[in-house]
Amino acid sequence: MRFRERFGEDPPIPGASGSPSDGQLEGLRREGQRFLAAGDEAITRALAGSDSEAFLAANRQQGGQ
Amino acid sequence: MANPSSRLTKVCGADIELSNFILGFDRPGGTGYEASRALLREIDGLPRAWVRPYAYAADAWGSWDYRDRSAAWDRDSTWRSAYDEQDWGRKFLPTNGGCVYIDLDHLELCLPEVRSAWDHVAAWHAMLRVARQALEAANAHQPPGRKIQALVNNSDGQGNSYGSHLNFLITRRAWDDLFTRKLHQLQYLATFQVSSIVLTGQGKVGAENGTPPAAYQLSQRADFLETLSGIQTTSRRPIVNSRDEPLCGWLPLAGDGGAPARLHVICFDNTLAHGSSLLKVGTMQVMLAMIEAGRMDPSLILDDPVEAVVRFSHDPSLQAKAPLASGRPAGAVELQRRFLDAAVRFAASGGLDDVVPRAPEILAFWEDTLVKLEARDLAALAPRLDWVLKLQMLERAMRQGPELEWESSQVKLLDHLYSSLALDDGLYWAYERGGFTEQLVTEEEIQKFLVEAPADTRAWTRAKLLQSAPPESVESVDWDSITFNFRGRGYWPVRRTVTMGNPLAFTKAEMAPLFGRAESVDQWLDAVEASGERSGEGAPGDPPGLAACRPPLPWTDSSPVERSRCHEIP
Repeated sequence: MRFRERFGEDPPIPGASGSPSDGQLEGLRREGQRFLAAGDEAITRALAGSDSEAFLAANRQQGGQ
Repeated sequence: MANPSSRLTKVCGADIELSNFILGFDRPGGTGYEASRALLREIDGLPRAWVRPYAYAADAWGSWDYRDRSAAWDRDSTWRSAYDEQDWGRKFLPTNGGCVYIDLDHLELCLPEVRSAWDHVAAWHAMLRVARQALEAANAHQPPGRKIQALVNNSDGQGNSYGSHLNFLITRRAWDDLFTRKLHQLQYLATFQVSSIVLTGQGKVGAENGTPPAAYQLSQRADFLETLSGIQTTSRRPIVNSRDEPLCGWLPLAGDGGAPARLHVICFDNTLAHGSSLLKVGTMQVMLAMIEAGRMDPSLILDDPVEAVVRFSHDPSLQAKAPLASGRPAGAVELQRRFLDAAVRFAASGGLDDVVPRAPEILAFWEDTLVKLEARDLAALAPRLDWVLKLQMLERAMRQGPELEWESSQVKLLDHLYSSLALDDGLYWAYERGGFTEQLVTEEEIQKFLVEAPADTRAWTRAKLLQSAPPESVESVDWDSITFNFRGRGYWPVRRTVTMGNPLAFTKAEMAPLFGRAESVDQWLDAVEASGERSGEGAPGDPPGLAACRPPLPWTDSSPVERSRCHEIP
């Protein structure tokens, strides 16, 4: 979702009328936790499928700019 | 309000250095050399090969000689760029006008010039997709058991850092003020950059480079910023970099009597979250417009920005304070609030009009983000800011795996994989796919920059010329010029160089009608030259057509920039 769509065409003015209530905010946070779980499977896969020590040792870079 | 004649639209360029290495292939010193070249090989660009054994080059004193540079041919028969010996295999993309090359064994992606911070976000993600396509193609050629890994971060966790740079067009007067006349402006800019890591940091597990221990910190780059200002970029990195390579021609673009300058910004992180990326560019555009107008508040200057950036970065609770020059302590969020307040007042006076595209939206987004930071509402910011998302991801992983600790190698692995370019193991992309991240540009806008250049900068003409000319005729390409080597009558080639000094010119609106009337590439080049002459390309007093023969600007610190002869070879 684009920023302008999410917050309406006019940029949001914090504290102005139309800001979500405390209850709505709590709901949004719960929804956020649900979405955050979207990464759980990827994390589990990463930890199960990678030799972390070998990965970190292989990632040796020349210093750049 | 600022004098409108001394302001420039804040055109922005950017580059992304990737971490690249090969899993399953050990080599003393790492596998960056092999990985970066395997990736570069998969990206199509121009020129395809360098054919001339000679080039103009400047010695350390700025005088010119004609030296044999054949020794600079690499083992893959690709020419080392004239920028620097560490810069290898540069090729420009006919699609979007950006370029790619290898810098110290890192694949480096350079975005085409944009005016809008939103276009920056779209072009940034488009260039990451270019690199991802190369990664997938290169991995298809790897022997069993080997996999090339590319990470969009700035530190390998072993004390080595690589960059994420921004370039902004500023007036010569603003440059002189920053670095030679009004050093309080430099300190003001440094204070802004240091405090803005609360918006732009990618987040990192641990500390490096001799800084105090930290479980988690906001910035990938903070531990490697060791001086306030300087020209260097690979050691003792400065917060404010003074490497001026404008590649913008010789004539003033604003009424301050000097050719334009480039501010090279090296202190920021590679970012993936759209919010972090937008704020990184948008707020810098705003601050530079203010500095250009001489609007700054000396009471905001930090006493020691180098010490402060580490202190701020090492405290994800955002409680850390650092002393201002007045002695009063201030936190990063508080400083950002005061910068924003000043920017809002400046905008109200018309100071951002025509200088920063979509400035009201940038200010509103900055404001909304600061309100949430002031409330420490990290749950609301996780979809927007990289360091917050990574922190929440790692804390969640540690809650679900009690055996994990900040010092665990598995946690550092997740830190790295957050920024993995590959869709199958890149954790940021998992959140994006899951609909968690805040998307400030659409998929269509990103896709557009895979096949098109920004329409409102010279990148559009660069891309069109590269698309239209026979590929074998493209002899050399730079941000401000292209040299073609056409087959002429008889045996002699015909060489033509066109210059595009003004990044705000040669736009689609300006050039498309001219190109539409042209019937050959030659006529396209005529149109570009005519447009350049109308906008005063070249140095004052140059005869027509000689603009391309000018050497690099005398104040640049770059290694010699190659310039070809402009006239037909007899």
